[in-house]
Amino acid sequence: MANPYYIPEDKVPLPPKNADVLTTACDYCIVGCAYKVYRWPVHGPDGGMKASQNALGIDFPCAPLEAWPAPNQYNQVMHKDKLHNIMILPDRDTDYVNKGDSSIRGGCIAQKVYNPKTPTHDRLKTPLMRINGSLLPVSWDLALDVAADVYKYVLEKHGPTACAMKSYSYQYVENTYAIRKFFFRHINSPAFSDHDNPGHYSSTPGFRDAGLDNFGPAYDDWGDAETLFIMGTDPWETKTIIFTQFIKPAIEGGQKCIIMMPRRSTGVAFAEANGGLWLDIVPGTDAVVTGAIMKIIVENGWEDKAWLKKWANNKWEVSSGFGQGTRNTNWQWRTTWGKFQAKGLDDWKKWILSQKEFDLKTASKMSGCSAKKIKKAAEMLAKPKKDGSRVKASIAIEKGAYWAANTLATNACAQLGYLVGAGGRPGQMIGRMGGHQRGGQSGGRFPTNKSPQKVPGRRRLKLNVDVWVRSGHARFAHVIGTTWTTAMTGTQSMQARFEELITRNPHQIDSFNKADIIKTLRARADSGGMVVINQDIYLRDPIGTRYSDIIFPAATWGEEDFMRAQGERRLRLYSKFMDAPGDAKPDWWIIAQLAKRMGLAGKGDFDWKNSNEVAEETARFSRKGRKAYNMVLVAAKAEGKTLHQKMRELGTDGIQGPTFYVKGKLFGSKRLHDTTLADRIGKNNGDSQDPANYISSITDLVQGANILGKKTTGFNTQTGKINVQKFPWSITGDQWEWFKPRGDELWMANGRQNEIWQSKFDDFRRPYIMQRWPENFCEINAVDAKKRGIESGDRVVLWSNRVPVLKDTILGVKGSDYQFSDLMKNGHVELTKGAITAIAVVTPDIKKGVVFTDFNDPRSQANALTSGVPDAISGNWLFKMAICNVAKIGESSYKKDMWSFSFVRRGIVDSKTS
Amino acid sequence: MTDIKEIEIQPQEKKSCSGSKCMVSRRTFLLGSGAAAASTVMITMFPGTSNAKKVKAQVARYPRKKIGNIKRLKTGKPVGFNYPDKGDYSTQMLVKTGTHCGGGVGRSKDVVAFSTTCSHQGGDLEGTYNKKYVTVGQCPFHLSTFDLTKHGMVASGQAYEALPQVVLEVDKKGDIYAIGIMGLLFGRADNLKS
Repeated sequence: MANPYYIPEDKVPLPPKNADVLTTACDYCIVGCAYKVYRWPVHGPDGGMKASQNALGIDFPCAPLEAWPAPNQYNQVMHKDKLHNIMILPDRDTDYVNKGDSSIRGGCIAQKVYNPKTPTHDRLKTPLMRINGSLLPVSWDLALDVAADVYKYVLEKHGPTACAMKSYSYQYVENTYAIRKFFFRHINSPAFSDHDNPGHYSSTPGFRDAGLDNFGPAYDDWGDAETLFIMGTDPWETKTIIFTQFIKPAIEGGQKCIIMMPRRSTGVAFAEANGGLWLDIVPGTDAVVTGAIMKIIVENGWEDKAWLKKWANNKWEVSSGFGQGTRNTNWQWRTTWGKFQAKGLDDWKKWILSQKEFDLKTASKMSGCSAKKIKKAAEMLAKPKKDGSRVKASIAIEKGAYWAANTLATNACAQLGYLVGAGGRPGQMIGRMGGHQRGGQSGGRFPTNKSPQKVPGRRRLKLNVDVWVRSGHARFAHVIGTTWTTAMTGTQSMQARFEELITRNPHQIDSFNKADIIKTLRARADSGGMVVINQDIYLRDPIGTRYSDIIFPAATWGEEDFMRAQGERRLRLYSKFMDAPGDAKPDWWIIAQLAKRMGLAGKGDFDWKNSNEVAEETARFSRKGRKAYNMVLVAAKAEGKTLHQKMRELGTDGIQGPTFYVKGKLFGSKRLHDTTLADRIGKNNGDSQDPANYISSITDLVQGANILGKKTTGFNTQTGKINVQKFPWSITGDQWEWFKPRGDELWMANGRQNEIWQSKFDDFRRPYIMQRWPENFCEINAVDAKKRGIESGDRVVLWSNRVPVLKDTILGVKGSDYQFSDLMKNGHVELTKGAITAIAVVTPDIKKGVVFTDFNDPRSQANALTSGVPDAISGNWLFKMAICNVAKIGESSYKKDMWSFSFVRRGIVDSKTS
Repeated sequence: MTDIKEIEIQPQEKKSCSGSKCMVSRRTFLLGSGAAAASTVMITMFPGTSNAKKVKAQVARYPRKKIGNIKRLKTGKPVGFNYPDKGDYSTQMLVKTGTHCGGGVGRSKDVVAFSTTCSHQGGDLEGTYNKKYVTVGQCPFHLSTFDLTKHGMVASGQAYEALPQVVLEVDKKGDIYAIGIMGLLFGRADNLKS
């Protein structure tokens, strides 16, 4: 049997004392762990076993927690055309974030880099063009000239909305700025969407409406809470170091950690075994259970009355504000008037007590989570201690919740937080835990007013680009660093549409002559087909392999200096330490070339010579954002440095946005919504991250070029106080009701595993990881498995004959036109079919009636079964709520194989667990 | 067993040894088997893909050390031993799991030996053997768990490498010998340098 296996090395070379040392941070999850890259020539002597002989400065054998270099942390790269050894290790010299710790993903990041001897050998190295059906290497000039010509032709002949872009939102400020400057400001098209949304939407509309930033908390706050309530994620699996460095020590010190999701994964099991709670709900019921918890809190009078009195907008304040009053807020624009608005706290309390879905019994029945557990959660969060004092509680949310019920879950999360006094104090915060790191930087105003999509009145909606393309309105698609079709819901019917628009269109390149090629692609666009260009680091299937006409090879992490922030807004420089493969170029360079060849660039525009020049141009656009780094540039200039030089100097500690530069001191913001900041001034608490230790009064923060936003010491609302808002189940509950499993159907959720995650393009090229997860899996409860004759290691098919897909871009005439039931009734939804295969893992760690598969696994796409009808209010896809049938189709070879695929349950806590 | 079939054995290339590299007798470990023959082990990496290629696998030279007798092992009760020397991180556990394991020896191929130090950051795994699931862990540091039926593969967790497996062979008397280690022991830069 030849399943993937990995034979580990039994020794590793050590970096010599004089190895180059460069700082960077992990390329992967939101946590953004600090790393050091050690680099030395392959022919140079390696380091020795004594501390005095190696760059790690430790004796071998080394002690636990010291910088032991595993073979997977070693690689060889080309640097300035000379072969070098590299070792990439978590940084032990920083006091922040990982403090020397790492997950398996970042820990093995050395295997990511291009090395022709490893599975990374197929990095894209030259532009490709599909000629006579094959992707052939071509010159940059030919590829760029053709792309620029056809892009411009479509823009001028068919208009900006015929040009669509799907791009990553996170891959470094230099790139995202260039991309958005190009597309927002110059193409000026509303047909733009990020890699994880159908449109340029807020992921967490409820947070925005309530006045919260997604990433307000500091990681310390998750650890400082006495009760931590987490909706829709197990941070051990998905942002490991937040768990191992902040939450796990807190739990061991007595923190009660409540995790709400259908799966009892490793972190959930640990929390549960150590005084916490697993709220085992079925997908999409987060808001119902959270509502029931709030109802219990209100019934018992356990809400934080003093906090709410000071910070909640009263009924006059809700309607106040110059230009930001109730008639002109985002939440009013998103919904029909008044559905969310409460006339102050008392009105809200009346409302929640009257909601029948939030009755304990009903919520328990709908969610499948016992009433006892729901009640217990309310007590852990809000029941006063024996001495009458409050529990310090924080609330976190992530996609398991807000991609199952987007508007409702994010709204409910914010409200629960406010009710228990969280949101604006150390250890008492509300936030997202995060997915990708935060590298988005806008470079122009998004042209919402050009969107052809709207609801009644003058309320224009940002365009759902996926549906727009599906409807056949896009003639030119520009895809950057995403697989698009497989990453979005209702994958299989979307791909059928791409086939029609692209591969089955009669106008295909059959010549090497530039003029002929251009003529052909122009004819494709004119005939109603679509031309696709793609920027990526690998040839992805099917967007690259089947659909793209032109592919541009991109340079990435480690191949260029870049800047980005992580989940507590900490900005770092990600150092270049090696040559990019072949002719690969950073995305900002590719964009600049397109802009110039299209004649969109003014004098000196898009004329960047290096990534620092891009970064410096972006700085002023960051000023009002959560990761504002303009003051780092101001400080750099004052010291005669470039922005990247200054960032390099800040090293892996980095600096947390928004940044300030006061009296020659550069400092950041430990947390947002820091309502106690003023109280801490003048009382040096020794925390070098705390801005209170750098200023003598809040007014210091408005001096010079510094910008003090409301969110530094208050909230993002018209008054700077919080909006207490309703979240009626009726808003999107109809879709959940429709989805409820019928007959033999099961709920299908999907998500991440610690070992294989959001960067599968790299995971698939690590033999060590591929032996663990050689295929997609399907966790199924023993009861459901037995009924279907399924054992661990069996190959199963998951299928659904009711994958609803919104087929048209529509104009809302009535208020309820975007409501799921109305879309169905009015014939805008097509019921499609989807099926995937997976390897069964029978486990007690998934709730009965629910199966769980890997999210966005290109080998077998769970998105084939997820709903192609968006959240009625926010427009986001509901990636985490689907149903399916499950049946065995045979045994897999992994069942008997001794090298690949472990069927061990994830919820083992210790040797005593059975 | 399945895993052995994938390994092609090339004729031994005899070399005279000198210096520190020859402080132990030259042996091979044939992964997953009890047989011993000096060899270069060829394995297919990335099988079934266009990347498939034969590569030379790690062949280390290790001492052959008797570590126990198979008749004295009780199912589910690990015993400790030191290997390849008595230095730091030489503590290994030998266990009869009662389940067929990758690299297992004995009639039921259920006797395996592994390092007791976590291959992430050196957490002590002694006493964490779980006989029901045939796992080691959770590691007290960061909660890694290892699957002993599959060559110490990380079942869930952070470990940078699978848990190093001590390669075993059994003679006719039932004596168990450690003959090599698959993977680098935590804390060491070379298994044979302590």
